[in-house]
This record gives sequence, C-alpha cells and structure tokens, in this order.
Amino acid sequence: MKCNLRSTYLATSLLLLLSLALSGCGGGSNQSPTLHVLIGYNTVYPKQQQAWMQQISDEFKKSTGATIAWDTFNGSSEEQTRIQTSIVSGTGPDVFSMGTTFVPTAQATKGFTTLTDQDWNQVGGKARFFQQQLTMSGKSPDQTIAVPFVMRPFAMAYNKDLFQKAGIQAPPQTWSEFVQDAQKMTNSASGVYGTEIDPSDSFDTWKIWWMFAKQMGGDFLSADYKTAKLNSPEAVQAVHFWFDWATTHKIVDPNSMSWKAANALQAFANGKVGMLMMVTSTIRPTLKKSAIANSYAFAPMPSVPYGMQQRPANGVAAETIVSGDSLAVASYSNQKDLAFKFINLVTDAQHQIQYSSTFGDLPTNTDAANTLASQDPQTAAFVQAEKGAVPTPFTGVWGPLEVALTGVSAKLAGEVATGHYDPSHIKPLLDQANQQIQAQLH
Amino acid sequence: MSIQPVESASSLTPAMKPERGKRRGGGDRPIWLMWPGILLFIVIIGIPLLIAVYISFLNLDQYSLRSWLQAPWVGLANYMAALSGGETVVGASALVSLGISLAFSLLTTLLITPIGILAALTVNTSYRGRAVVRALYLIPYVIPTFVTALIWRMMFLNGTGLVDRSLAAVHLANVNTYWLLGPNSFWAMVIADTWASWAFIYIMVLAGLQSISHDIYESAAIDGANSWQKLTRIVLPQLRHILGLALLLSTLNHFNNFTLPFVMFGTPPPVQADVLPLNIYVSSFQLFNFGLGGAMSVITLIIMLIPGFVYIRALRLGEVRAA
Repeated sequence: MKCNLRSTYLATSLLLLLSLALSGCGGGSNQSPTLHVLIGYNTVYPKQQQAWMQQISDEFKKSTGATIAWDTFNGSSEEQTRIQTSIVSGTGPDVFSMGTTFVPTAQATKGFTTLTDQDWNQVGGKARFFQQQLTMSGKSPDQTIAVPFVMRPFAMAYNKDLFQKAGIQAPPQTWSEFVQDAQKMTNSASGVYGTEIDPSDSFDTWKIWWMFAKQMGGDFLSADYKTAKLNSPEAVQAVHFWFDWATTHKIVDPNSMSWKAANALQAFANGKVGMLMMVTSTIRPTLKKSAIANSYAFAPMPSVPYGMQQRPANGVAAETIVSGDSLAVASYSNQKDLAFKFINLVTDAQHQIQYSSTFGDLPTNTDAANTLASQDPQTAAFVQAEKGAVPTPFTGVWGPLEVALTGVSAKLAGEVATGHYDPSHIKPLLDQANQQIQAQLH
Repeated sequence: MSIQPVESASSLTPAMKPERGKRRGGGDRPIWLMWPGILLFIVIIGIPLLIAVYISFLNLDQYSLRSWLQAPWVGLANYMAALSGGETVVGASALVSLGISLAFSLLTTLLITPIGILAALTVNTSYRGRAVVRALYLIPYVIPTFVTALIWRMMFLNGTGLVDRSLAAVHLANVNTYWLLGPNSFWAMVIADTWASWAFIYIMVLAGLQSISHDIYESAAIDGANSWQKLTRIVLPQLRHILGLALLLSTLNHFNNFTLPFVMFGTPPPVQADVLPLNIYVSSFQLFNFGLGGAMSVITLIIMLIPGFVYIRALRLGEVRAA
C-alpha cells in the first residue's frame, strides 16, 4: 500500500514537472502564430509607445492573421543581457531592436539571420533606407543582419540667448573657436559655463573621443580591425583635449566629473550651459518643457582640431556617427517570414513618418525623412547631418571597447575630482585599454 | 497523558535499531516526499551551477557564445586571472573587488546591528502609537533597492546634492565634495546600504524579543535588575541564536548586493565601489569575458559557503539532540 502511494506520488510529481516544462515551451498549435518582438522601452513617451504597439499589432493581425507579443528592455545593459541569454538558450524574441553600434557585437555572436537579397526585398529593399545607415547593417554588404529602423544623427545644441549675450554671431566651426566662444560665455560666479563635460557617461566619452581622433586623422582600430589603436597619439590627444575643458580652459562646471548625459542635458535645459555636445533630436521633448524652450538651436559639431586652421589631410569631419536603432531576426526564430513582414510594416514611409512625429527619432526610410525635412528646418538639419555620418568600426569588440574607454574616463574623472589629475596618466591608462581590446581582437 | 522523554539512539537495543541501508537515516519519515523539491533543486540550481563551473574553465566570449560547449578549454587561467592583484582599466581586479565586498558587507552589518537592536527595543513594549512607529521603521526596507539607489545618487551629487549641502551648512565638508567618484564612493555605498537595510536586523530582533517570556522580565525585576542588566543578562543572551542568523544573512545579502552600486555608480563603477557582483557583471556581460566571470562566481560561492558552514556547525542545525 505504502509502495503504491509512493509510486503514485512520484508519478504525479513527474507529470507535474513535465507539464510545467511543456507549458513553458510555448503556446498551443491551434492558435494563430505569434511573433515575439523585443524593443527598447520609451521612458519619454510610454503611453504613446503603448498606443503605437497596439496600432501595429492590429494592422499586423489584419494583414497576416498573426499576433505580436511585445517585450521591452530598459537601457543598454538589459538589452545586452537579453540578447546574450537568448543566443545561448536558443529561445526568446524573434525580432530584436538594437542600438546601431551593438550590431557588430550581435553579428559576432552568430545568433542572427544573415539577410539574403530575398529577405531584403521582403522588408522593402535596400533602396528604401538611408545608405549611411546600411553601413552598420553587417560586416560587409553581402553579410548583413540588421535593418535600419530609426536614426539619430548627432549635433551640437546651443543656447541662443547666451550666444547673443557673449556677442557670438554663429556656432563655432573649429575647436579653437569653440574654446574661445565657451570662454566668452563662461561666468562661474553665476554658474554659467560655455559647455559641458560628462565623463561618467557610458556613451558620450567614447563618442566624443572617437570624433576628435577621427578629425585628427586617427582611429581606435586599424583599417583591417586587427590592431587596437586606443593609445595612438591622436587618441591620447583626444582625451587630453576633452579633460582640458575642465582643467585648463575652465569652460565646464567643475562639479561635473560625476555627470552623465542626463545631468548635462538638465544643466543645458536650466540655461546654465552654452553648448551641449553630440546630442540627438530626441532631446527636443525635454527642452520644449524647459526654461530655454524658445532659445535653443542645433548646429553641426566643429570639425577642425584644436589649434589647427584646417583638418589634417587624413582627417575626417565625423560630425556625427551612424547611430540609431536596427531590427534583427534571431537565427533560432521559426517565424522569419512573419518577422520580415513586421519589419516591412514598421519601416514603410507612412509608419516611419508617424513614428518620427510621435517619438522624435528620425526615419531611416529615405522618402519619409525627405518628407519630414521639407516640413521642418530642424529636421532638415539633422537629415543633412546624417548624409555625412561616419560609421564606427564594424567589429565584435566594439562593445567591450566602449566599456574600456568609459573605464579610462571614469578613472581620469576621479583624478580630477580628487585633485590628482595629471595628463601624463592618460597614455598609461589608454595602454591598458589597448592591451585589453587587442587581446579580444580576432 | 504525559509526555515521555525520547530515548537516545545509543540506548536502543540492537533489535530496535533501524535496519541499516533500508531507511538510511530517514526513520519512518517519508523522505521520498522530497523528490519534487530535489528535482527542482537539480534543475534550477544544480545544473546551472555545474555549467557555471564548466564555463569558468573556458575562454568563452562573444564569438563562441552561441556554441559555448565548443569554446576553448583554458584550465585554471581564469582563476589565475581572477586571483591576480592590481587594477584593470575598467575597475578593480577580482581580488581587490573581493576585499571591497568583504569590507562593505562586514562594515554595513556592523553598523546596522546596533541600530536594528535599538529600534527593536523601542517598539518591544506596548505604548500608544507603537503600530505607527513599527510601520515607519519598515519604510527603508520596503522601498525597492533601485529606488533607494536613485534617491541616494541624487543626494550624493556634489554641489547640488542634499548631503553636500547639509555638510557644508554645518561646516563639516566642502559643498563640492565628490561622493560618487574616488574614495568617498565606498562610504556613499555604505551609508546608502545602512539606511536601506537596518530594518532587517530590526525585524529579526523584534521577532526574537517577542518570543522572550514576560515572566523572565518580571523575575528579573523582582530580583532588582535594572534596564542595562536586563538587556545584557536576559535580552542579548536570549537573542544569541536569532541575532547570529540575522548577522549571517545580513552579511551574505550585503556581499551579494548588486543593484545598489549598479544604480548609484553605473558601469564601470569607481574602483573603490567595484564590489564583486558588479565586477562579475561587467566582466561577463559587458566585456564578454564569461570565463573570468564564471571563475569569479565560483570563488564567490566558495567564500560565501564558509560563514554559512561555520554558522551551521556552531548552532548544530540539523543534528538530533540527545535527551
């Protein structure tokens, strides 16, 4: 009797575990197919994003009969973790939205579908998209994994009132002019500074340093991506110049060593900063509600290195980098056809215009971008900037490279904060970062 | 009906001893009822643990992530790297992080213990409004850690934060003192965590206090014991076991605290606040050095087992006490 009870108990337990496992493996076969989509959570427009999701779901259901199961991530850390766990486990979303500079790392994992010509035709054809954005779709034109979804070209935002007060007629074209203009606007007694620095931010550091290095003719990696050049003279000079804003030129808030991008934006919105570096049009909603709602404008970043009259022969303007979000289909997905239909839907001109009008990101659909540019001069300026966008090196170590440079920045910021900053420390730190990245290059 | 004392195992006659091998220490208790739990334990903890140990011997990165079983075997190289000293460009080495985590967890536990005991004593006896005070005490503990971290990040901002302004107002520090960078970042982390977690000790101690019989207090009062004597001769000895458990759990919790430094400082954090969980996260998920992250995780597990093992041995948990 006892033995029977034990057997029944064990069998029931095993059945329970099995049913739990099976229920976790997916939905029933008699339901409509479901496409799982992972996108970034929009903290500025959460309600509008919900409405957009619902609208897209309805239209997708109408045209394909399939439903969309949305999932969101909040921030790049969660984005990376979700991608990595999905790749390892072979389960997860069918479609991933990812930051453009993360595409190389995603492709290195070999976890995403390499797009064929037929796949591209299914999502509307390559001609539909901005050509600069396509440079970050894959490691070569015939090995692409990501379809451009939205783009965010970078520019400088400046405070027109502070410019006028300082007698500055036009935004600076060179970094020497930039420093002079910033010094004119700086009035530390009233807490106003010509520009800002956010050395504790995870993205601004490498973006700005890379731009400086490119303008001086350098780069962080060799052309074949086999040699790390994080400690090149141009890279050292780039870091040196940026921290000079705080230590030599005194054109930034001395309390900004722990700042991230949000702190810099807040200071600009409060009218305390003359020029805000490398921002996208997504800051407009914040500025619309700020004290400077009617007194700011955008301009291209200066493109001539500090102390020079013109760029070196091998220098690249690099006023903006190819940036935005792309959509990639997981290689384990068994809903690839639906995935391409979804991408086709959200990247057509009509939906791109609607998305851009709601959320501020620029469309990657060329027709949509040109339509919006013809209606708004600020959008036109960003679209124009995108035409000169430079892609970051397409290598799987770009993600770790960003982290390594952020580490260098955090260490130098700590030195400035505690009064121990010495420019001679830059090279050894970059040597360490270079060694670390070189070890990961394949 | 009277309760008969249980005979010790040694006093049983050979005929009464359980048949060796058949019950294997389970007596008549149906040990097989544990099988579902054991199966879940194997699936949820056992297998992932074995995988983590295996990964710690691999050179696993973004290129080999998808086919991780075929990643190159590197033996103890990740352990050697984890145990080598010094700083890396993205923070502290694993060894330094271990020291930071130990200092952080022990110091925080040391700080919250007297606070928690004192708080529990203030609401142990009945008075008007005690329920409100008890509820207020729980506020720091029930606030989600990431909210706590965000609030303290704002308060520790140099120049504009409440901490600097308050310290400057009483001439204790410069208004521009950095708390989120450099050596002060460690203290910022300790202060924030102390604020958030003292209520854990309070809850545990209060539970212990409530279990002490009033008769003992009354007897002590009749014998002329004062408040201090009651605290040191009655309360603390009675709380020994529960306080030991609270200190152990608190130390482990603080050691494993990831969210607080992650939200307060971001990644990579200042070296002084680069606790081991954060270091493991950055190594694994941001630098894609999963092997090193695995090795650091295994080292953490071993270190964490030590106090747990000592505690279990000290309290002889799980052992049958002889009558």
